[in-house]
Amino acid sequence: MKSVVLRMAWRNLWRHGRRTWLTVGAMIFSNSLLVFSISLQFGSYDMMIDNSLQTFSGHIQLQHPSYLDQPKMRYTLADIVANAQKLRDELALESISARASGFALASSNKRSHGIQLLGVDAKHEPLVSTFPGLVNEGRYLGPGAQEEIVIGSILARNLKVGIGDELSFLGSGLDESFAAGVVTVVGIFESGIPDLDRAMAQINLGYFQDSFAMQRAGHSIVIRAAHIDDVDGLMARISAGIDDPSRIVPRDWNELQPGLRQAIQADMTSAWFMYIVLIVLVAFSVLNTQLMSVLERTREFGTMMALGLKPIHLARLVMLETGMMTALGLLLGITLGALITAYLSVVGFSYPGMEEMAVKFNLPDRMYPAISPLSLTLGPVIVALGSLLAAIYPALRLNRLQPIEAMRAV
Amino acid sequence: MAAHRLHFSVLLTLSWRNLWRNHRRTGIMLGAIAVGVWAMIFMTALMRGMVDDMLNEGIHNLPGHIQIQHPDFLDDPSVANSIAEPAGEFEALLQRIESKRWATRIRVPAVIASERETRGINLVGIEPAAEADVSGLPELLSAGRFLESRKDSGIIIGAKLAERLETRLGKRVVVMSQDPDNNIRERGFRIVGIYRAKLPGLEEFNVYAARDTLQQLLRIEGRVSQIIVVGEDYRDIEPLYRQVRQQAPADLQVRAWYEIDTYLATMFNMMDGFVLVWVIIIFLALSFGLVNTLVMAIFERVREIGLIQALGMRPALILYQILMESTLLLLIGLGLGNGLALATIKPLESGLDISVVAEGMAMMGASSMLYPKLTSSDLLLANSVVILLGVLTSILPAWRAAKLDPVRALNST
Amino acid sequence: MSAIHCHQLCKTFHQGDEIITGLDHVDITIETGEFVCLSGPSGSGKTTLLNAIGGLDTPDSGEIRMGDLRIDQLKRGALADMRLHHIGFVFQAYNLIPVLSARENVEFVMQVQGVATAERARKANAILAEVGLQGLEDRRPAQLSGGQQQRVAVARAIVSQPDLVLADEPTANLDSVAAAHLMGLFASLNENHGATFVIATHDKRVMAYARRLVKMQDGKIISDEAQ
Repeated sequence: MKSVVLRMAWRNLWRHGRRTWLTVGAMIFSNSLLVFSISLQFGSYDMMIDNSLQTFSGHIQLQHPSYLDQPKMRYTLADIVANAQKLRDELALESISARASGFALASSNKRSHGIQLLGVDAKHEPLVSTFPGLVNEGRYLGPGAQEEIVIGSILARNLKVGIGDELSFLGSGLDESFAAGVVTVVGIFESGIPDLDRAMAQINLGYFQDSFAMQRAGHSIVIRAAHIDDVDGLMARISAGIDDPSRIVPRDWNELQPGLRQAIQADMTSAWFMYIVLIVLVAFSVLNTQLMSVLERTREFGTMMALGLKPIHLARLVMLETGMMTALGLLLGITLGALITAYLSVVGFSYPGMEEMAVKFNLPDRMYPAISPLSLTLGPVIVALGSLLAAIYPALRLNRLQPIEAMRAV
Repeated sequence: MAAHRLHFSVLLTLSWRNLWRNHRRTGIMLGAIAVGVWAMIFMTALMRGMVDDMLNEGIHNLPGHIQIQHPDFLDDPSVANSIAEPAGEFEALLQRIESKRWATRIRVPAVIASERETRGINLVGIEPAAEADVSGLPELLSAGRFLESRKDSGIIIGAKLAERLETRLGKRVVVMSQDPDNNIRERGFRIVGIYRAKLPGLEEFNVYAARDTLQQLLRIEGRVSQIIVVGEDYRDIEPLYRQVRQQAPADLQVRAWYEIDTYLATMFNMMDGFVLVWVIIIFLALSFGLVNTLVMAIFERVREIGLIQALGMRPALILYQILMESTLLLLIGLGLGNGLALATIKPLESGLDISVVAEGMAMMGASSMLYPKLTSSDLLLANSVVILLGVLTSILPAWRAAKLDPVRALNST
Repeated sequence: MSAIHCHQLCKTFHQGDEIITGLDHVDITIETGEFVCLSGPSGSGKTTLLNAIGGLDTPDSGEIRMGDLRIDQLKRGALADMRLHHIGFVFQAYNLIPVLSARENVEFVMQVQGVATAERARKANAILAEVGLQGLEDRRPAQLSGGQQQRVAVARAIVSQPDLVLADEPTANLDSVAAAHLMGLFASLNENHGATFVIATHDKRVMAYARRLVKMQDGKIISDEAQ
């Protein structure tokens, strides 16, 4: 019995081959487009998050509770180097680094500029931030070295200094005393992010602490997780290990860079608006096809009812046909979408003007869609659900069928 | 000629009545077209509004449509790379430009210190009278007053910076910068105004003082960093740009907004491409249903097509009749879609609050209010794509109908 | 008006693996003003002959002339024009365009021919009255009985005064009264308008009206007699 119904449904589909293919075609078009753009979206979000966080902020930072809103000198964490080491041991994670940060006026013999001066742990900093790797002239700070500085490329240009030149910096220390020093430029980095290249400089943390009268304090412990999915777990473990939440709190990347998630959200919203329109259009297509198919078979359905079938059986038949059509669209759509996406995930994908966009969102100038089981199935499954939903109306119409009238219909 | 008119009217009658033979199918297809067209126009209006906002904001922040400056200023924005205030022929040209909007400004990196904190800033010396046109700064003032003259001794800072410096309106701050001889110059200013920028990052960075006051402070009397020119519309500045280039002294660099900020230029240029891609994707999604509807409509009346062929209607007329039917369907769908789009966009024109993602929008350079912007060119694009490509996709099924063999068509069931 | 000459017409069809002979070296001449019945069992070739004469179907070989015009050599567009201006068709059923009213169906051909509006209306009303459908002009085909529908079809076939009216089993779906009525109409139109009629039928009631009866079998003419 079952197999007869299946065979009947399948054959019914091909009574109007062209119509079925056109409907399936709409599904294939939408599904492959959805697979591609969702994969691209996921790929670019991952990349956007990774690139933004890896450059500088890391996934989690431990800070003084007030430091996030008011990054002032006086909101410090005590004994920062030792605490960072303790954390490395507890979490069995090497990519943890301590930082201190302050404002200073940097002067060469020609120019002066206000800069954000960062004291870093030269040994661990390369593990949490891509900055050290972005030094394209000279070298990064030597561990423990005094009186060395690494500066951004625009800052170097503005100060008119090169490798080996001396800079002096002047700021105010933790105790409001003058913090001053003379340092040699050992490296110049170019991150491609103008704000950082213009105003950021790094010196060794020990030297920073001495110069700014911070003793052993600092401002943040930066943690880079192995993967973004680890962040929640790490957050929980770190929070559990904190004795005094009034002096130290962990901040995850959402708090550190709220714009990032919101930019993604805004992009998601507009993307989903587009997807939903596509899905609705496919549903219209299915509705039309199935309604026509039900109406033109009125006579045939009448005969079947006269043979003793109930409307519910016929409705099931119509839903089965829709299901088969949908499954065909799903399979072919995912296959086509996966092929296109797989190809582009190897060769990359770019469009005119993407380079400028990419810089703004810390993306490379070619995008590589990320195929995952979710990105492959999410869109097509919703299309399939929409299609089945659309077939309910034609299927329900069968309840109104009266056998004798139906058999008389043309 | 008369025959053509008669053909047209008989084809129109047939098309119109055939369209409503299967009102359910036509209704569903109209629904699909209406939703598709609505989505085309609605989404485009939102994106246009956003990009327009970004461009306006961006251009306000540059500021200006055209900037004239020392060729080295870009690499080294210091007072050393200042230029003389416009004079002679050049000034005469600037006075003649239609918009009458131009101003000079000073821009130098500086350090600002309150009693508690010190920050690096971008110190801007402005001509207060012209600022409303150039950067729209006066509108952004949230407390205090705007600068009153080119010699005003007050300073205007952003709300965020005030917070960072732990200072407030009426307090004094010290500003330090360098003169062309690398001597540090400093001066106390009273904070007379606080502004709130639409993009939060700027609030911490830009500090405004009167131009002449800064000239005096920095010892650059009669010199400025930049000349800012604002045309009528940023989309159409080429004639003005050419004029200014011709008249500006040869040793100065003249740049239009799209050369200054390539991100803005990209957004501006990409928008048209984006709209086109979006419209075409929606059209393609619609086209399957459109062809399907026509195929079904033709299938149902194969016998009838055989009949009118037997009656002596040329195949071309059959093709025209089906194309006309499809055109009518598209036109009605377009009417509904456009109406729906207008009805949904109009109420949103006072602004759509998207402040939930304000910081994300700021990252893209847009503010947290979205003002949909319906342009006639986008409307034209959406409508013409649907009608032209729609008729084009209808040609194949129509042509197949016209090619039907009359004997077979007549005998089909 | 000109006579129709068919010379050595042949036509075969393929149905599955079988080859069916439609016309087998048929020669026939139909003079202007004749009232001819083609009769024979189904598959005898009468419809094929009718379609060939009407330019709906092209023979495999042989020639058909209407006066000096070689119908078998015309292209699709020219054939359509020839049907439009010289031939009226009446089929067994589904003769009318369902979305047009009786009057509009009659006017349809004239409209495609390019006849002016006023003249069209006048002619349509006159011919509908002549076939006895006064008062039903504005009904759609679905609102007319089978006999009434066939009379509209006849009115449409005759209204632009074609040289030749071809009817294929026009009475097949009609009861005796309606069939007699329709044949009476054919006969009177033949007399009053001088139109040539060729009617393919195996309906004895129809053959009674014929003035020349052509019998066909297996694609050949087996007898051709004046009645």
